[in-house]
Order: sequence, then C-alpha cells, then structure tokens
Amino acid sequence: MPWYDQPAAGAGRLRRRQRLRGRHDGPVIALAGNPNVGKSTIFNRLTGLHVTTAHYPGTTVEVAVGTARLDGRTVTVVDLPGSYGLGTASEDQLTARRALLEARPDVVIVILDASNLARNLYLALELLDLGLPVVVALNLLDEAGRAGVQTSVKRLSESLGVPVIPTVAHRGLGVRALLAAALRQAEAPRSRSGPPPNYGAELEAWISGSVATLEATKHEWAPEGVSARGLALLLLERDEEVRALARQWAAGEEALQRVEAMAEELGRLLAQPPALVIAGARHGLAAAIAARCQRREPLGLRLRDRLWRYATASATGIPIALAVLAGLLAFLYYVGGFLSTQFDRLWGATASPVLDAVTRFLLPGQAADILLWGIDAGINASLAIGIPYVLTFYFLLAVLEDTGYLNAVAFLSDSLMRRLGLQGRALVPLISGAGCTVPAVIGTRILSSRRERFIASTLMVLTPCSARTAVIMGSAARFIGIAPAAAILGIATLLVVATGFALNRLLPGRPGGLIMEVFPPRRPPLRTILVKTWFRFKDFVFRATPIVVVGSMIMGLLYETDAIWHLTKPLSPLVEGWLGLPAVAGLALVFGVLRKELALQFLVALALVEYGGNVDNLRLFMDPRQIFVFALVTTIYFPCLATAAVLGRELGWRSAAAIMALSIGLAVLVGGAANQALLRL
Amino acid sequence: MTTPAVEEYLAVAFRLQEEGAAVTVAALAQRLSLSHASVSLMVKRLVQEGLFERREGELRLTAEGEQRGADVVRRHRLAERFLFDVLGLAWDDVHDEAGRWEHVLSPAVEERLDGVIGRPDSCPHGHPIPGRGAALPVDLHALSSLEAGERAVVVQVRREETALLRYLASLGLLPGARVLVEQVAPFGGPLLVRLGSARYALGRDMAAQILVRKAAR
Repeated sequence: MPWYDQPAAGAGRLRRRQRLRGRHDGPVIALAGNPNVGKSTIFNRLTGLHVTTAHYPGTTVEVAVGTARLDGRTVTVVDLPGSYGLGTASEDQLTARRALLEARPDVVIVILDASNLARNLYLALELLDLGLPVVVALNLLDEAGRAGVQTSVKRLSESLGVPVIPTVAHRGLGVRALLAAALRQAEAPRSRSGPPPNYGAELEAWISGSVATLEATKHEWAPEGVSARGLALLLLERDEEVRALARQWAAGEEALQRVEAMAEELGRLLAQPPALVIAGARHGLAAAIAARCQRREPLGLRLRDRLWRYATASATGIPIALAVLAGLLAFLYYVGGFLSTQFDRLWGATASPVLDAVTRFLLPGQAADILLWGIDAGINASLAIGIPYVLTFYFLLAVLEDTGYLNAVAFLSDSLMRRLGLQGRALVPLISGAGCTVPAVIGTRILSSRRERFIASTLMVLTPCSARTAVIMGSAARFIGIAPAAAILGIATLLVVATGFALNRLLPGRPGGLIMEVFPPRRPPLRTILVKTWFRFKDFVFRATPIVVVGSMIMGLLYETDAIWHLTKPLSPLVEGWLGLPAVAGLALVFGVLRKELALQFLVALALVEYGGNVDNLRLFMDPRQIFVFALVTTIYFPCLATAAVLGRELGWRSAAAIMALSIGLAVLVGGAANQALLRL
Repeated sequence: MTTPAVEEYLAVAFRLQEEGAAVTVAALAQRLSLSHASVSLMVKRLVQEGLFERREGELRLTAEGEQRGADVVRRHRLAERFLFDVLGLAWDDVHDEAGRWEHVLSPAVEERLDGVIGRPDSCPHGHPIPGRGAALPVDLHALSSLEAGERAVVVQVRREETALLRYLASLGLLPGARVLVEQVAPFGGPLLVRLGSARYALGRDMAAQILVRKAAR
C-alpha cells in the first residue's frame, strides 16, 4: 500500500510531514499543476534532480521531493502529481491534495499552461480558495505564442491578486525569477496574499454564511493551513474526506450539520448538486479571467494539427500505427545489433586482454578465473547484450513519449484494450513496460480500478521488457535469425492478448470508462530526448551492472568448483526432459530472476570461458531449437526480483504471487509445447 | 412473486434501455457488480420466465419485463423524491437509500406517497418517473451518438455517481459546456472531444452518459 493510502494517524502524519519537509528549517515550496504543463521540468530545473517527464498525462504519480538553493538558502521543493483539481474523484487528485495538506507548504507554485489558460486556472482558483499563498508560473508561453495566443502577465497577476512569473521551463527561462518570487511570497505575511476569488454575490453569500457558521463554533478551523473559506467550500461540496475530518473535531459534528443543511438548501434552489454549482462557478470565473488576459489571433490549420488528424483518423491512423511499430522493431534490431557488435569487438580488442593479463599476474589460477568471470565475461556480456538494446529502446521510447504520438495510439486502441479489460490510457504504461516492467507497474496507478490495475500488471509481466527483448535479440535474432525472434515476440504478444481476454472474462466487473486528455503533437528538443534517454539508461546501468558482475562471479564460482552440476540435477526433468535444453540452461534461467538478461549473459559467459574467442559460441552448445525455446521461456517466465517486489508493494502479495505463478506456468507450458512441436518438425 | 434480486435485474435493464444503451450481460454485470458467470445464469432463468428475450442476438426486456422494470424504477424515483423533498436527505444519499425502498413499497403506499409529494414528473436527479409520459425532451442526444464534426452544448450528465460528476466537472464538462466532436475512433472506440483549448478522449459508454443539445456547425 502506498503511504498516502494509509489511514492518517497522528504520529504517522507528522513523520511523513517531516519527510516531505526535509531536515532543515528552510521554507517548503509545493509545485502544483495540470498534467503535462511542464511541472516536472520546472522541478528538475529547480532541484537539479531528474524526475522523468513525458508528453502525456500521468507520468508523475508519486510525490517527488528535492531541494533547491537560492543565494545560499536551502528550500524544499515538493512535486505534486499533475491533476486537474483537488477533489477526491481520482487517485492523482487525491494524492496531490493529501501531499499538499501534509507538506504544509509555505507557498504553492501553480504552473499554468498559457496555451490552455482557462482550464488550467480552475486548479489555481481551487488553491486560492484554500487560502494557501500562491505564485503562478505561466509556462509554455513559446508554444502559446506559436498558436497565436498572447497573454498579459500583468493583467493575470491583477486578476488573481498573486505574483505571476512568465517561464519557458524547458529552456530554463524564468525559473530563477520564479524561485525568488516564491520565496518572497513565502515570507510575506498571510494578509498580503490578496483577496480570495469572487464567484458572484449569490454564491458568495452562501460561502460567507458557511464561514460564519464554522467560525461561530470558535474552533481552530485551520487544519493543515486551510482557511475557513476553503474549509467551508469543501464542506459545501460535500467532500467525504473533509467531512470525516470535521467529525473528529470538537464541536465539528454540530457545525457540519449546519453547513450540510445549507448545502442541501443550495442544491435544492439551483436544482444541481452544490459541488457542480461551485465547479461551474470556478470554470466561469476561470474563463472570464482567461478572456480578460489573452488575445487570440486566428491562425490557419497548422502542420501539426493536420498530422494529428492523420494520426487519429481511423483510415490513416491504424496503418500509421502499424508502420510505426514495425519501424520500431526494425530500428531496435539493426541499431541495437550494430551497437552490440561494435561493443563486443571493442571489448575483445582492448579491455579483455589487459584484464586477463593483470588478473592472472596478481592472482593464482582458480581465483583469477573466478574473478575474470565477473569483470571480463560479465561486463563483456552486459556490453554486448544488455546495454545496446536497452539504450536503443529508451531512445525510441523518449521519442514516442515526447512527440505525443502515444496519445494518438491510446485513442485508437481503446476499443481493443477494452476487450482486454483495460482502457486506452493503459496502453501508455503497457508500452513503457516494453522498456522496464517496474516503472510500468507503478504507472498503473493512473488506472481507476483495482481490477484494471491487476489485469494491466499481469499483462506487463508478460510483455517482454527491454532486458527480455535483449535476450531475444542477443540469442534468437543473432544466432538463428530475425524470423524466429519475431515469432517469439509474436507468441508473447498473443499470450498478452489471450491472457487479457481471459482475465476480462473471468474477473467480475468491467473496464471503467475512458476519460483522458490528449495533447497535440509537439516537436521535442533533441536535447530533452537525449537527456531523458541518458538518465533512464544510467539508472539502468548502475543498478544492473553490479548485479551482473556479482551474479557472474557466483556463477563462475559454481562453475570452477564443479558445484554447478549438483544444482542442475533437481531441475533436470523439467529443463532437459520437457524443455529439451542443456542442463546448465536451467541454472541460467534460475539466475535470470536477478535480472532477466542475466540468463543469457550467463550462457554467453559460459561459452566464453568454455571455448574462448568471441560471443558467437552460443551455437557451439545449443542448436537452433534450444536457442528458440530458451529465449521463449526467458521471455515469459517469472519476472525479475525487482518486478516481484514492486508487484507485492502495489497490489499486495497475494495478487503478486498469483501473477508470478501464472507467468511460470505459462512459460513451462508454452516453452514445452514449442520444444515438442519443433522436435516433431 | 418477484424477488428483490429479479427486481434489480429488471430495473437495471430498464434503465439501460431508457438510456439507449444495449442490454448485455457485461453491462448488467457492471451495474450490478456481479460476475459475468452469475449474471449469465440469471439471465438464462429470466429468459425462461419470459421477462427477457433474445431478438436477433440482442437481449431485451419483454413487454412484461419492461412493465415490471418500470414499476421498480418508478418506486425508486418516487422514493428518492420523497426522501429528498420531504425528509430532507442529501442529494447524493437518496439514490442508495431509495435502492432499499424500491423493493418494499406496496401499491397502496406508493399511491399515498405519490400524493404526498405532489405527483412529480422527475426524480431529484432529473430522470423522468416512468408511467408519467414524460420522456427525455426530443432534442436531447447522447454525446456518443454524435458524428465527427458535430458541435453540441452539454445539458446534463446522466450517471448518478457523484465522483464521476465531479471529475468531469473539474475538466469543465459541465452543463452549458460547448463541445466539438473532432474524431470518432473505429470499432466502438472513444470520441475525441474538443472543449475550449483542450481535447479529451471519452469512451463511448462515458459519452453515452453525457446528454447534449446539438448546435450549429
């Protein structure tokens, strides 16, 4: 269970607040904003950290915390998930709201997309209603300018009564000014933060009536820094969480009843739930402010609009999507393959002989052999297999994400995804699962129901991640050709579809309806793509390489001491009998649990030690059928340890165990069936 | 004698037909929060009892089933009206509460209740009370029935779940919002709807809950 799902007990809340606030006593700044307005980009610029950003909603579901420095002062920055509001209707909104209240920020920077100001202002008004000190960052001004929208910063600041700083975050423009303005606002007395929004005489009369009711109870009505007005609005909206909170306060029940009576009266008068009345008023005010501050020059249909139309219209969109997918696989195969050969050649020509000589000079025979398993064969295998394909994949993913093309795919694929028990917006995390299963499973938090999260996580476990693709590319594609590799990917895809279809039938319920904001295509700066690729890749390498090296050394120890053959015996009926693989491949599969590409890297390392020379030696102890079955089983079976851990954390251990058992069962079944079928050919 | 369980099926099917949505095992299972398997068993039984029928592969209520479904829904909406108007329960609590009343009101009590609340035409959420001849105004359409290129104004959101209402509200999909349907995805896929400067992909069943009045192109 994520921390924000746990019941808010007093002590726990305090601890989390301390964690969110950091250890120093400097001010705390919270970053709020709609999805995809450049919030994480500003966070990264402020803190020098690298939270992943993308051109689609729902990238940041966790709350990131970092520190920024200005003129020698330390400031804590809390990055809230992107959300359209602060209600309780969805997890992103709820997470944003709870983190906001728990961090008790001294100032909230709300980031607005200048090209869609009216909708963005809704969140700003909601924050102002809570009585929090606010500074506005007016971002994406360059994009709005290109769309023919001019914004008056001065008028916006006057309308809202708070400082407004224009920014172009991806180029770093205005970010320092923003931080300075936020600090000034944090230190200003609260009375200077300007009047709250005004929703017109009629609604304001109801609000002030509720405020008076709350204040009449003479309680300290400012939990978590929320003003009486903010509280009154939340109670009028019949916000479940705040109602529950109010019941716990002394005299809370009585005040609650009076405010709720007013809410009912209001609903009856306007024949609409009060929450809708208030939301309507906020949108109305937001639209009025946007109209006052912006001027639009009508532009013709731009190239990007036309591209977007082609990408989403069914006649052109589906062929485009299929072409993109084919291009993706081809790019992965050729570029990844090219890098793999180059890395391998380079390592064999330079590092390998040097390491070999030095190690043998320093250590006696067997110890040197074991060490070389790790630092020579291990790193070589990681260079030749893991890294080239992972690097290439991350680059492609960054391009797809940042151009916004994934939006079009999610839109087109919704009806297919529904048959798998998911919705179109699940496609984005599912595709990112082709990179790494771990962030993909965390990404399922954007889905609305537990059912969808379970189905999506199961399908992600069965989707070949980049490590598994690396195994397919490095074994099947390299040694027996592209067609068998494509067949393995085909089988895996078929399994994903069949499993989704079956789960959708078997589990009670239905996929929830799709509501997703889609963004027009954008030309991402090359620098952003490269930086993003690099940071994801660096993260992967630094986590993976030590495990590969240590894992290889343990394997070397087992091999050099002949202990390995004792371990293979219990697996023999399954591995040798049913799957038809060499006994030692069973061990490689077991080691794949550490990280998936270890399975192949171990096999390759085994070949290197056994026969010397270059990596082509996989063919010397496996025939094409065995390579095919090995790659297939590796692709399907039990996810790596990291995935198991994140599944347990996100879905609970019972669901995690069910998913893992399913993947092992499927792998044994499908691998064995493939072996038997190929033997008969 | 109709059991409460059967009444629930009839009422849900009646509401689906009222909304112009297809009565499918999946739709019933979702609204009733039951598994496909148990719904499909029950539907088989109800077909045998002559309350449901399959016509050209589509599930529908028979005339008798529709009558009985309408009775349940009428009791439900009258009870909502009474709970809201007379007892002063909150707007979003009356639906659940009325869910219990709909099974226990006798015709005599129903008649008296109707009298007490002044024989209203609609429930507090604006849904017509069956048997009053007051169906949806003719010029209202489900957003899902619009074609690419059509413009419309949102009039009402049909779903009674407040969480969804509020989520849509935070996006600005409120009564009075002006929308343009830009694309309609194939194979029963979502609609791409433009609202102000934003575009949203709305699933077909989600869009079916949003009632609109068509506007000039």
